[in-house]
Amino acid sequence: MKGLITGRRLGLTVCLECRSTVSDAGAVSRPRCPRCFAPLHPRKPHSLGITTALIAAAAVLYVPANLLPVMNTRTFFDNEPDTIMSGVLELLQSGSWPIALLVFIASIVVPLLKILALAVLLYTAWRREPRHQMQRTELYRLVEFIGRWSMLDIYAISLLATLVQVQGFANIIVGWGALAFGAVVVLTMIATRTFDERLLWDAPAHG
Amino acid sequence: MPAVIVCPACDLAHRRSEPPLRGRNECVRCRAPLQGPDHRPVETAIALGLCALVLLILGNAYPLVVMHVNGATRETTLVGAALGLYHQDCKALAALVFLTTVIAPLTQIIALLYLLIPLWRRRRARGQSAVFRLLVAVRRWSFMEVFMLGAIVALVRLSNYAHVLPGIALWSCALLMISLSALTAVTSPEQFWAWVERRAT
Repeated sequence: MKGLITGRRLGLTVCLECRSTVSDAGAVSRPRCPRCFAPLHPRKPHSLGITTALIAAAAVLYVPANLLPVMNTRTFFDNEPDTIMSGVLELLQSGSWPIALLVFIASIVVPLLKILALAVLLYTAWRREPRHQMQRTELYRLVEFIGRWSMLDIYAISLLATLVQVQGFANIIVGWGALAFGAVVVLTMIATRTFDERLLWDAPAHG
Repeated sequence: MPAVIVCPACDLAHRRSEPPLRGRNECVRCRAPLQGPDHRPVETAIALGLCALVLLILGNAYPLVVMHVNGATRETTLVGAALGLYHQDCKALAALVFLTTVIAPLTQIIALLYLLIPLWRRRRARGQSAVFRLLVAVRRWSFMEVFMLGAIVALVRLSNYAHVLPGIALWSCALLMISLSALTAVTSPEQFWAWVERRAT
């Protein structure tokens, strides 16, 4: 990899908004892209620190997101709390296993995978691990691609809570778990944005 | 413009070449897309934008899901889903749903038309670069396709207890999802700035 020339060595910065390559961005104190006027940075500022903080917050909130009820079904007789997992089980029992699998993957597997994958990426980028760059880049792209799909259950819950408001029959009330879950999704999505994937490729520091 | 393109994903420098007619050039090291085709007609994007705008209006004007239970009928629209959460005092969650299913797609479409219609007439929109950056930011939070799948999950869960019917808006949201991805595909940042360069400089 030594013969390869990076933008940093040539003094070139790429604008992440409009993807144009800019020369001499370091000459002024706060460089901006001449084409779209976005702020330019050779690497996203404080990428590792900010991403670590966001991932830590998401990991903490992942616990209440899964343990607290995301919705409560109140009928005339009782109040039935539903966590994400019990929603999946209910779908499974009613015979729609493909939908159950979909919700299980989108709501339980994907957020956990995102948190773990970003933690691994952060650790290896911080260590400046010189191997497996391609695999780690592919892992990052997977996280970037699947991130938004965790919102699935939030949308399903919002529709259920809006529709099931039948006086004297049943009401669905959104629970605190849904808020925690929404926060996990948003935090991990922002964390994916603040992580600079170029750090995976930066050569180890000499000396 | 420098004769070099730098990969936004791994910082490797490449010699600039002609953009491909179809497909894309990839970074030789990390295989990130570097350049895509930039000779599409601006009219295609405007047509897709108008189509998406009509579908978004339809998606909000008609019910998304209709439910019959105990002789009563309940229905909701796209905005209604966010409002339902708002009325339950889940304001943060309501804002998130509203932002990702109504505001983001709407802003995405309006911003694009605002930028492209002047370009089509060989002019530049006022505040072009700021609106462009808004567009790039808002596209990341436009979750129409996820919402569609969420609506299907809600339909399946409800169908155990009540008689539910997909409304007209569900079909227009499905078409909106397709036209939004087509719109995003034909208006890559490279393509947009190629239009600016060719039509309004």
